Amino acid sequence: MAALAATLFFVSLLVFVVVRVLPGDPALIILGLEANPDSVARVRQELGLDRPIPVQYARWVTRALGGDLGRSIQYDVPVGTLILSRLTVTLPLTLLAAGFMIAAAIPLGVFAATHHRRWGDYLTMTLSQLGVAVPGFWAGLLLILLFSVQLGWVQAGGFDGWGQGVWPGVRSLLLPAIALGLFQFAVLARTTRSALLEVLREEYVKTARAKGLAEWIVLFRHALQNALIPIVTVAGVQLGQLLAGSIILESVFYLPGLGRLTLAAISARDLPVVQGVVVFVASMIVTVNAAVDILYGVLDPRIRYG
Amino acid sequence: MMRLLVAALVAAVLFSPASAQTPTSLVIQVPTEPPGLDLTSNPSSAIAAVVFDNVQEGLIKIDRTGKMVPWLAERWYTSDNKSYTFFLRKGVRFSNGREMKAADVKFALDRAVNPETKHPYRVQYEAIQDVIVKDDYTVTVALKKIDATFLYTMARQGSVIYPREAVDTLKSQPIGTGPFTVSEWVRGDRIVLLKNKDYWVKGLPKLDRVVFRFIPDPNSTLAAIKSGDIDVSAFGIGPESVDDLKKDARLQVIVGDTTNDVTLSMNNSKKPYSDKRVRLAITHAINKDEVLKGAMFGYGKILGSNVDPTNPFFVDVSKRVGYDPALAKKLLAEAGYPNGFDAVFKVAPQYYYTVRSAEVVASQLAKVGIRATIQQIEWGQWLSQVFCLAPCQTPDYDMSIIGHAEAWDIGNFANPKYYFRWDSPAFQKLYQDSQVTVDDKTRRALYVKMQEMLADEAPAVWLYMHPRLVITKKGVTGMWKDQPAPVLDLSEVAWQK
Repeated sequence: MAALAATLFFVSLLVFVVVRVLPGDPALIILGLEANPDSVARVRQELGLDRPIPVQYARWVTRALGGDLGRSIQYDVPVGTLILSRLTVTLPLTLLAAGFMIAAAIPLGVFAATHHRRWGDYLTMTLSQLGVAVPGFWAGLLLILLFSVQLGWVQAGGFDGWGQGVWPGVRSLLLPAIALGLFQFAVLARTTRSALLEVLREEYVKTARAKGLAEWIVLFRHALQNALIPIVTVAGVQLGQLLAGSIILESVFYLPGLGRLTLAAISARDLPVVQGVVVFVASMIVTVNAAVDILYGVLDPRIRYG
Repeated sequence: MMRLLVAALVAAVLFSPASAQTPTSLVIQVPTEPPGLDLTSNPSSAIAAVVFDNVQEGLIKIDRTGKMVPWLAERWYTSDNKSYTFFLRKGVRFSNGREMKAADVKFALDRAVNPETKHPYRVQYEAIQDVIVKDDYTVTVALKKIDATFLYTMARQGSVIYPREAVDTLKSQPIGTGPFTVSEWVRGDRIVLLKNKDYWVKGLPKLDRVVFRFIPDPNSTLAAIKSGDIDVSAFGIGPESVDDLKKDARLQVIVGDTTNDVTLSMNNSKKPYSDKRVRLAITHAINKDEVLKGAMFGYGKILGSNVDPTNPFFVDVSKRVGYDPALAKKLLAEAGYPNGFDAVFKVAPQYYYTVRSAEVVASQLAKVGIRATIQQIEWGQWLSQVFCLAPCQTPDYDMSIIGHAEAWDIGNFANPKYYFRWDSPAFQKLYQDSQVTVDDKTRRALYVKMQEMLADEAPAVWLYMHPRLVITKKGVTGMWKDQPAPVLDLSEVAWQK
């Protein structure tokens, strides 16, 4: 918990200072080419930008500790409300992408490892090489071109909310989730393959086979379980990367999620939103990492934390 | 896994909604989400696109041809050009059900004038001395001095009339007399407008529902229009896609004029740009036809001054300082730069045309010895460094390119503190005269003089008018071809039966 608090403190301090030293006056960006010195001064005062940075930070931390992340400059609504509303898009998107990544990568990795140096292995590795090489936004555009423009099966983008039911919501997230998860899928498939290959060379696997156990028991109960530690480690890191990747893909698929909110907030110098989102995402990533640490202990009882 | 994927795809096909829109609803793409919906607090054109003339209207309207027509005021009268009496239409109701009266006009105008309310265009209302309600349908505006742009100001987005009781919700739930009302705003995604059933113009609007979808990326917009997700792309599709889209039988492309003048600015307060010969040399060195071809695929119109073809006082002065690289070199030598000089172009890639135009211009300038490098900076930096408002004292740039979308903005060149930093008392005098001259013929003559002077003095280079490029599905009718004002009027838009 102490580590979590310290991480969040440093993240918040860093992002607070960085967004404030960025060139570009939020007041000017809000007012645009029609701005005049009077209106700029008024907006600066309204936003509290005329106060010294340490004072601004102290005010922000005090309020944040009480659960108040401030108000969005652009939307004039509480940042917390904004984050929660955008989370209804980004969280399902990330989970779908993670689901796709795990559901595709682990079986393929196992398949490649068990067909080591045979055509199945080469085919899988070629596929995952492609996944690593193709940038997500480009894969997204190709998917749109095929499934939306040519075939017309799903919409090219946008999200109409969960109000119309679960399936319409999931359907509008399918293509972005695949595009988002593609790179991570490729990395995880390669990790699974190499982790499993290593374990399959171990003496105890030979022993298990020598005992006459069925191959699937050898593979899943003896080998894969022991190979899971590096796989879970990589997958944990990847969850954070999926969240980060949503910044680009939510723009390509014009989804009203956290990623697009962040991008728009940075361009508009909506400082309270940038701070709020970064600290929120950082806390999510820290939590996922903590969960991964706990999972180690479940997977391998020898690992325990004092 | 494969089975799962196939099942998901089959399901996607089975459960797809019918792709055809109901004929009374329209999904329209705009690239930028409005920062609030209050036309009287923020000059953003993204607010105008949604609210102006769709939700809120003024006493006077600029129609699709650029002409000022009586709107909420059915007529007006002035005997001395210092006092205007407006006769309001009777029976016009706000969308909250209450009838619009002269007191509402007084409230809106008083609020625009009052420095406390911090109206963003307060300077445009400075001439107003008093607003007097004569009766429920008659209101007189007394001016301190003659203001030739007063009637135009009444047609601007900042002069919309709204009910007094709804002034606090202007930012999120604006109420007006317009053909539509704001039904829903999903932040970051869309704004939904619904038909105002009591709209005072009979037969309008033709649509029941309009969805503004915010899609900033041009590629995503292209995919959305091609897949049929949106019915109209209002802004944002680049000229490079137009020829391809014209071949698509399902779509129609509208190419029109705008008030957006793409301007190459020079820092007139800085050497060598303070020298008129250098500025003229730069103008002579630029082949605007090539810039238009290279940056805009030929869409748009060449400009010679700040006044564009949508303006009734427009005269073509683009040939006064034409393309002549030999003369450009001669002028540079006369100014003491026989070997040219180094220059930096600061442009913001947020507006795609700025970088493209700068690339073509830089290569042309190189031919006369001006070695211009292009520095791409983020929009926020551009506003601080180039546009330079207080606390910034001196603009930090040599040359830049940006589109100026405001109509009737020639006064920027009469303002020595504007980022061009051009200080010409002769021009300022002409502009001030034009502001107090109401006789159309005399005013036109002053505008012609100003355009000629701008061309001859070259405080900036006006490259081209940015074209209006609207893509719609076949069957969408009633969209404006040109954009003479910052408005996206959808009242007459309909689906062909």
